[in-house]
Amino acid sequence: MTINSTSLTVIPPVAGPTPELVLRRTRILRLPRSPKVIAGLVILVLFGLLAIIGRWIAPYSPNATDQQHWVQHVLVPGTGAATGFPASYYPLPLPPSAAHWLGTTVFAQDVWSQLLAATQATVVVGLLAAAIATVLSVLFGVTAGYLGGGADEGLSLIANVFLAIPGLPLLIVLADYVPSAGSSVVLVASIIAVTTWAYTSRTLRAQTLSLRNRDFVEASRVMGEGRLRIILVEVLPNLVPIVAASFLFTALSAIGAYVAIAFLGLAGSPTSSPPGLWNWGEMLREGFANNAVRGGWWWWWAPPGLCIALLGTGLALLNFGIDEFINPRLRTAGLSRKTARKAGIGTRPKLGMTPVAHHPPVAVASVRTVAEASRLRDTAEPVLEIRGLSVDYGYDEEAVHAVVDCDLVLRRGQVLGLAGESGSGKTTLALAAIRLLRAPALISAGQVLFHSKPISGDGPAGTIDMLSATDDQLRAIRWSEIAVVLQSSLNALNPVITIGAQFDDLLRVHRPALAESARWARSGALLDMVGMNADRLRSYPHELSGGMRQRAMIAMAIALEPQVMILDEPTTALDVVTQREILQELIGLRDRIGFATLFITHDLSLLVELADEIAVMYAGRLMERAPATSLFHAPRLPYTYALLHCFPPMHGPRVPMEGLKGSPPDMRDLPPGCAFHPRCQWALPRCRQEVPRLAPLNGSPREVACWLHREGTTVPPELAQPEPASMRPRRPETVGQAGGT
Amino acid sequence: MNLESAPTPTSVAPVRAVLEGRGLTKSFWVKQGRSLLARKTRVHAVEDVSVRLDAGRVTALVGESGAGKTTVARLLAKIIRADAGELFLDGRPAPPGRPRSYAAQVQMVFQDPFASLNPVHRVGHNLVRPLQIHHIADGDIDATVADLLRRVALKPPDTFIGKFPHELSGGQRQRVAIARGLAVRPRVLIADEPVSMLDVSIRLGVLNLLADLRDREKLAILYVTHDIASARYLADTIVVMYAGQLVEAAPSVSLTDRPAHPYTQLLLAAAPDPDRVEAPALAGRGAPPSLLAPPSGCRFHPRCPYVMEICKSQVPPRVAVAADHSAACWLHVDPNNRRITVNGSVAPARDSSDQRNQER
Ligand SMILES: Nc1ncnc2c1ncn2[C@@H]1O[C@H](COP(=O)(O)OP(=O)(O)OP(=O)(O)O)[C@@H](O)[C@H]1O
Ligand SMILES: Nc1ncnc2c1ncn2[C@@H]1O[C@H](COP(=O)(O)OP(=O)(O)OP(=O)(O)O)[C@@H](O)[C@H]1O
Ligand code: SF4
Ligand code: SF4
Ligand SMILES: [Mg+2]
Ligand SMILES: [Mg+2]
Repeated sequence: MTINSTSLTVIPPVAGPTPELVLRRTRILRLPRSPKVIAGLVILVLFGLLAIIGRWIAPYSPNATDQQHWVQHVLVPGTGAATGFPASYYPLPLPPSAAHWLGTTVFAQDVWSQLLAATQATVVVGLLAAAIATVLSVLFGVTAGYLGGGADEGLSLIANVFLAIPGLPLLIVLADYVPSAGSSVVLVASIIAVTTWAYTSRTLRAQTLSLRNRDFVEASRVMGEGRLRIILVEVLPNLVPIVAASFLFTALSAIGAYVAIAFLGLAGSPTSSPPGLWNWGEMLREGFANNAVRGGWWWWWAPPGLCIALLGTGLALLNFGIDEFINPRLRTAGLSRKTARKAGIGTRPKLGMTPVAHHPPVAVASVRTVAEASRLRDTAEPVLEIRGLSVDYGYDEEAVHAVVDCDLVLRRGQVLGLAGESGSGKTTLALAAIRLLRAPALISAGQVLFHSKPISGDGPAGTIDMLSATDDQLRAIRWSEIAVVLQSSLNALNPVITIGAQFDDLLRVHRPALAESARWARSGALLDMVGMNADRLRSYPHELSGGMRQRAMIAMAIALEPQVMILDEPTTALDVVTQREILQELIGLRDRIGFATLFITHDLSLLVELADEIAVMYAGRLMERAPATSLFHAPRLPYTYALLHCFPPMHGPRVPMEGLKGSPPDMRDLPPGCAFHPRCQWALPRCRQEVPRLAPLNGSPREVACWLHREGTTVPPELAQPEPASMRPRRPETVGQAGGT
Repeated sequence: MNLESAPTPTSVAPVRAVLEGRGLTKSFWVKQGRSLLARKTRVHAVEDVSVRLDAGRVTALVGESGAGKTTVARLLAKIIRADAGELFLDGRPAPPGRPRSYAAQVQMVFQDPFASLNPVHRVGHNLVRPLQIHHIADGDIDATVADLLRRVALKPPDTFIGKFPHELSGGQRQRVAIARGLAVRPRVLIADEPVSMLDVSIRLGVLNLLADLRDREKLAILYVTHDIASARYLADTIVVMYAGQLVEAAPSVSLTDRPAHPYTQLLLAAAPDPDRVEAPALAGRGAPPSLLAPPSGCRFHPRCPYVMEICKSQVPPRVAVAADHSAACWLHVDPNNRRITVNGSVAPARDSSDQRNQER
């Protein structure tokens, strides 16, 4: 894998997992809205109607010959009086007329009436075959999948045997073997069903297998629920979308099969005894057998051909719609171009480029000057400055304001912690700042400045405006100057290349001066830095544990000595011991290399130990920012206070703790005023209407967005604890200088 | 027991073991590779684990990922059958198989509330079914369901009965799952990481609910977790597992304050602790072993800073290091071993590095 910035683009998951196979009422209702589904449904309903009422609206019997016109024959060339051969005649079909809407066949039969009869038989056979096949496949697949073990092996064997036999030849043999089959819809449908059920059965078995081990099935078992009920009530309803999709698929292939055998003349002719059924395949066969194409009698062969194509398209469209519904990944992630254009935003979806709204991102109320901001805390110079940043998902009314007016300054050598509940916008804020989010994410306001002073390599120096930077500029910065490690990066390593080769790719691109041996040595040294043995360069990612993969990712992130590391929950998936080891390694590296770190996590107790400064987010806004020790010992924000009391202490007497009441806010429907007010125990009347802004607390290097800390209110004692006397001796000041000079 | 009145004081009534597992052992056969003929190897998931759940007590089962916690929980709930070991219900051997009578006594709550409720069924269905299966609440099912929802603090019940799982927040879903477990009026509730999928801000609510059920309804609760701080908060007793084996068991405060086993000490050192000033020293870095071929003797020995020769070959016995406090470690066996201090915790061994050098 060539690690470049674009391969890192990750859309953060929407809060709360969405199980793939969920039969949601709202989603079902949404299903018919897709144009594909509507078109498919219209076609299907049309044919269904024709199949039902065809019998009554057909003007003639499909077999009846029109005696009146039968006489119009054409002399076959080379026959007749002059040639000595007895005269022989082509029957001449009639073109469409008022009497025969679709003309006649050579036998003077009405094509329209034949078509109606054929539609009925074809549609009925298709649906019936699909129904039989679906019942068979559900029986076999679900039973095999649920029972497992020997029953599964036996049933799967049967299915596999059917799968191994080529369908059409079997069909031909069967159709030939049962000559009277063509006269009975049920027989034809059964024969077709027998040849098509196995495929679906396999899909259903696989799905059932995965459902069987789901917790909710296990829960029913623990409850003492019977087997049959579990299958019928717990498992089957979850398979409905798949069963529906496979029903449509089978109907489509059944119609294809029916047409095929009829075309081959195996479904019995309507004029033989017992008479076969009129169907599209039979119509085509007669047409082709009697020179309909060469004779240019399109009205004979085109209608059944078109019907096949149309019904096939309808079923396929519907199937596609259901597929999309089952597998949300197929649904387009972005919003329609039209909406975007209406909103006046140019959003050619570019990989790894978060779009920025056209309207100038200046004049944000809370943008402070750099000088003013650094007065708050002038320990080290800023390296990444985020000013008034707002990020939406989607446009107009549908927009989710995931990040609103956030200010954040990351200083050289500093660990800045970003804490908050799930869905509060932490990932969005960090990734938008370096424009790694894909549409529908949109930066609607703000400014992001990157003050670059490369530690090594030939990256750009000077201040770069991230929101107006070009693709090339961003590419030059990302990874080599600003590196990102995401929680999902556990799986971000290329599985088919060794770790060593991935390091090599990275260094070859960004440090072309290094020779191959030097690259290898450097890769080994990097692994050593994160506590891994250099031998591991020869390993494939799957040979490493989760902890080692995360270490390898961190080693890659520091490979180019970036100035900024963005770590989004880098250790949440790991064990505490591994997590601790990796964090210690990381801090050691920070002291050595001097990069600044933006550390995102929901685990405030971890941040207090790790970070120099902590920013707390709630519902898309930054609510409190303070040095870690101050925040821990003397929180000023009710939310921070409550959050700190969500982590039971490891020492001292055990006391009952309350945690936070209520549930995390719905970002689509935020409460007015301070978004925390429904859960805040000290909420004031004005909290319900006015949004508090982040403002400095008099004299201290900290800021809070809360009405309690404005003039005229008494601050509850819990939120007025004195600042801890001695700030913990944090990293030596030299760190900042090391990075700064 | 020196429990400083925990979230809520434990009862003075005599402690009864409701469910007890003795010497539980379980291994799984897994295929190596995907082909039909792939070799099957054995995962020694749980070995010789004994746990005891008492009425009105919470026992926490703590360990890293893959330590075998879920397997023990599933063994106790009889979802899977043990290879060896016995289960005792009220002191009598538990009936074979998984009869409904067992389900009526022992219920389980799963880790992921997003997966443990069937997405196609309403809350009501989840609560009505157990009542129907076990013929509880003769006649007045609606009232019983409403009562269940009230017990897990989903109020008012009417607004929740008709909801689908996706209409509920994570904490609410876990409450429904707990209510489902409570519906059959069990005496044992096995909760497998009930809060680890929930947002930090709502975890305490669920933990407090469990504490409440323990105190009000005298439930015996097994709380499976990897978060030792929450175990200390909720549980009366903590049992620590490492690589499928029990390593230490003690009342929760004495275990976290005076850990006796080197692995427990490592776990505690690694746990996030905002009160800590210095970065903790981790004695015993590295990762848990593969359970396909677990280390002989003490499974912690490849990482243990105090490893001795005997540890490599002999499985350490469980020894009492204090009242109610046992650890499976050779350090605590030899009474002449100087490294055992009075209160039962292992003093940082001065000679540990020397010792390791000698053994190389
Ligand atoms: N592609 C998207 N489309 C619409 N909304 C989105 C999208 N991605 C994220 N969101 C919403 O934006 C909000 C912020 O998401 P974000 O991922 O930044 O949260 P977070 O604080 O990182 O949470 P977590 O701790 O769960 O990672 C959430 O409410 C989420 O539902
Ligand atoms: N059904 C199974 N088949 C094969 N191996 C299994 C099975 N169930 C568990 N294991 C293995 O047994 C070991 C213990 O697993 P278990 O799920 O009990 O661990 P755990 O302590 O619950 O971990 P976690 O914290 O990740 O849930 C693991 O190595 C796991 O891979
Ligand atoms: S602004 Fe009001 S509601 Fe918001 S945190 Fe402060 S006191 Fe609570
Ligand atoms: S038995 Fe030996 S190896 Fe195992 S924890 Fe005790 S001292 Fe360490
Ligand atoms: Mg996130
Ligand atoms: Mg588990």
